[in-house]
Amino acid sequence: MKIIVDNNPIECQEGALLIDVLLDNNIKIPHFCYHQDLGADGNCRMCMVEIKGQKRPQVACDTFVCEGLEVSTNSASINEVKRSILELELLNHPVDCPICDQAGECKLQDYYMDFGLYESHLSTPKTKKSKHIDLGSNVMLDQERCVLCARCTRFTTDITKTGELGIIGRGDQARVAIAPGHPLNNPYAMNVVELCPVGALTSKDFRFQQRVWFLDSAKSICHGCSRGCNIIIDYNETKYTSEKIHRFRARRNNAINHSFLCDYGRLSYKELNEKIIAAPCNMETLKELLQAEKKVALASPSLSLEQLQSIQEFCKNYKIELFSLPYIDESFGDDWLKTNDKSANFAGVKELGISTCQDDFNSSFENAEIVLNFDHALLKQQVFKDKTLVHFTATPCEGEFVFAIANFAHENGTLINCEGVRQEFFGTKYKSDAPRLRELLEELR
Amino acid sequence: MQTKIVSKNFDIPHAEMLEVALQNGRYGSLEKLSTLKPQELIDLIKQSGLRGKGGGGAPAGVKWQLASDFEGTKYLVVNADESEPGTFKDRQILAKDPHLLIEGIICTCQAIGANISYIYVRGEYEEFSAILQRAIDEAYEKNILGIGSTYKVDITVHRGAGAYICGEKSALLESLEGNRGHPRLKPHSPEPEFYFGEPTLVNNVETIASVPFIVQNGAEAYRAYGTKESPGTLLFAMSGHVENPGVYEAEFGLGMWEYIQKLGGGVKKGKKLKAVIPGGASTPILPAHLVYEAKLDYESLRDLGSALGTGGMIVMDEDVSMVKALKNLLRFYRHESCGQCTPCREGTSWVDKTLDKFIAKTATHEDLEILKSVSRSMNGKTICVFAPAASSVIDGFLKHFESEFLECIV
Repeated sequence: MKIIVDNNPIECQEGALLIDVLLDNNIKIPHFCYHQDLGADGNCRMCMVEIKGQKRPQVACDTFVCEGLEVSTNSASINEVKRSILELELLNHPVDCPICDQAGECKLQDYYMDFGLYESHLSTPKTKKSKHIDLGSNVMLDQERCVLCARCTRFTTDITKTGELGIIGRGDQARVAIAPGHPLNNPYAMNVVELCPVGALTSKDFRFQQRVWFLDSAKSICHGCSRGCNIIIDYNETKYTSEKIHRFRARRNNAINHSFLCDYGRLSYKELNEKIIAAPCNMETLKELLQAEKKVALASPSLSLEQLQSIQEFCKNYKIELFSLPYIDESFGDDWLKTNDKSANFAGVKELGISTCQDDFNSSFENAEIVLNFDHALLKQQVFKDKTLVHFTATPCEGEFVFAIANFAHENGTLINCEGVRQEFFGTKYKSDAPRLRELLEELR
Repeated sequence: MQTKIVSKNFDIPHAEMLEVALQNGRYGSLEKLSTLKPQELIDLIKQSGLRGKGGGGAPAGVKWQLASDFEGTKYLVVNADESEPGTFKDRQILAKDPHLLIEGIICTCQAIGANISYIYVRGEYEEFSAILQRAIDEAYEKNILGIGSTYKVDITVHRGAGAYICGEKSALLESLEGNRGHPRLKPHSPEPEFYFGEPTLVNNVETIASVPFIVQNGAEAYRAYGTKESPGTLLFAMSGHVENPGVYEAEFGLGMWEYIQKLGGGVKKGKKLKAVIPGGASTPILPAHLVYEAKLDYESLRDLGSALGTGGMIVMDEDVSMVKALKNLLRFYRHESCGQCTPCREGTSWVDKTLDKFIAKTATHEDLEILKSVSRSMNGKTICVFAPAASSVIDGFLKHFESEFLECIV
């Protein structure tokens, strides 16, 4: 089916929402309240378009496409409508962009540059509301910056069904709030920060850390559990420091996580910034150690398929028995994104045919002289008197033989999630201080 | 000059008591009701031309048909959230003849196939709500309502929490469901309202109270009153600068000025008329010269650039400052905007704040321009008609009384 948008024909599905069609075709349509994973609410009135045959402008988030629909999104008259509504959105806004974390990724700023560019007409005092309210779960609220799009309240009402956030008060006194003594408290709470199109909700973890225009982004996959939520790693390299990861954001994937992440996964970026202090290790010493008779290797089930394949090849060469054990945490999973298996690629381990039998591993481990640990958490904190442990680790780890390797933020690779979906991820543009695992194994060939 | 159909028992002492109500003809239509099939009832209402009396004036029969045709458990919700400034007609029914409303509810439920009915009463109407509840209790005792009755209708009285917007039918249903009273997005094709997803008919108190007369006397008897397009009567009300403010039922089509003079006793203290807000605060103001032309029906007032609304006239004498009057109204709109849509939330408060400058006589020409442009931004760009109503109020004042606003400019 075809509709006409700004005199151009556009292919679309009958009955689709007009705003989806416009967004999917990269046609500029300003919107605050509409979100592709929260649906339409129709309160912000920013996505106004002209429709042939309708005497009044209509909101694109409540218009369903039908054959012969003719839409105008950028005529002078509709741009004037958008300008006037944007002016109302911004009317009582404090315009404190210089100290606002959202600056640079704020829809109010973007739309002002696209449709606004007017002088303020306000000649009366602005409406005052409360600022820096701690809602709980790392979320801070500034009511004056809020455009009341209700994305956050709809998230807690419709998605998590925890209902901590609500809008109280009427008219220009309406504001987002929590009930006294009932803070925002659910494992997905920080999504509201990302859903907020303006600077009203900011993350305690990220605020005042970086200006977003100094950040680079990498398309990656969360390694916090076997769901494989799609993420964006925001990172940069500032003066005198090596690369630092500042946050994870959700990357939209309707087959897996839509636009959401759990707080555990979102905050798991922190361990990627931990420095690994490893004793300088001699490759020759390692090669000597590998001459031992009884050797066993344990690979983390969160390594990528490519890494696991290299380990498999390496173990075959040196005749090392290879195992991988999942990270099961019965208290972690829920009925949405989080899974009890906290390994990112256990399905990949099984696909490669790596042994995952705990008993076999235990008996092999019992007899082994040399144990190679490929980043598996199980062996990192333990000391065994009668065995020599060699760690290839992406997180801090103590021991005699520790080889630091680059973490997944510096790797490209493939993971298979709990539902069997194969997904690629990409690393940051900077090279890690530590070598990549595959480069190390290459040296040992 | 008065035509007493709905208000027939208003002057009878204790008509709110079942015994008195029965003596005065209440529940008389129920006998006739048993002879009519639901569809015949709906057709009867269509033939009578009964129009919704809550302000919109939409044909009631069409709404009934929609609710009746839709699959599901049917509900009837009576809108008694009468909050429009200048409007105080429904409370007369609740207080003086609640059994008429109950009778109407039974008839309407029978027509649309509902057994459960809610009456959403304005929060401030505690006193009237209590009278209504007593009447309902009496009706249950005498098996007029409830499981032991012929029509098995249940009525629950629900009191609002005092938000004007809950008089908007979809906001009312949201509120009744226990949510924030925010109007819902409008449907794309004709459909009934929905209460917890089930088809629901929402009608104003007076609309429902008009039903027993039509059931008992037939559509033609109702059409004998009023005009062709606006048949029947309305509980017109008067407040402001009139000698005898109050509610006086009259047929549609009377001259507004004649009504004000004869039933209201004319402008207070013999002063000159300046303007009338014809049907509750949300209808555009009419200056005196248009009041003399206006007829009390939907069509006449529409042609004069205003609306009949609820028929609650606010009469203003020659001493009224139109700047202060508009400020009074906008303070109300600012306070009662639900805050959902941006143009309404921000627009009403901006106009209200700007009007302060006119009151203080410190306004500029740019401020007058703000009033006009914000009014434009509010018109036709929101979910419900609250903002367009506020916009038309501002436009009405500026159209007819701009000179008074210009006088406030420094």
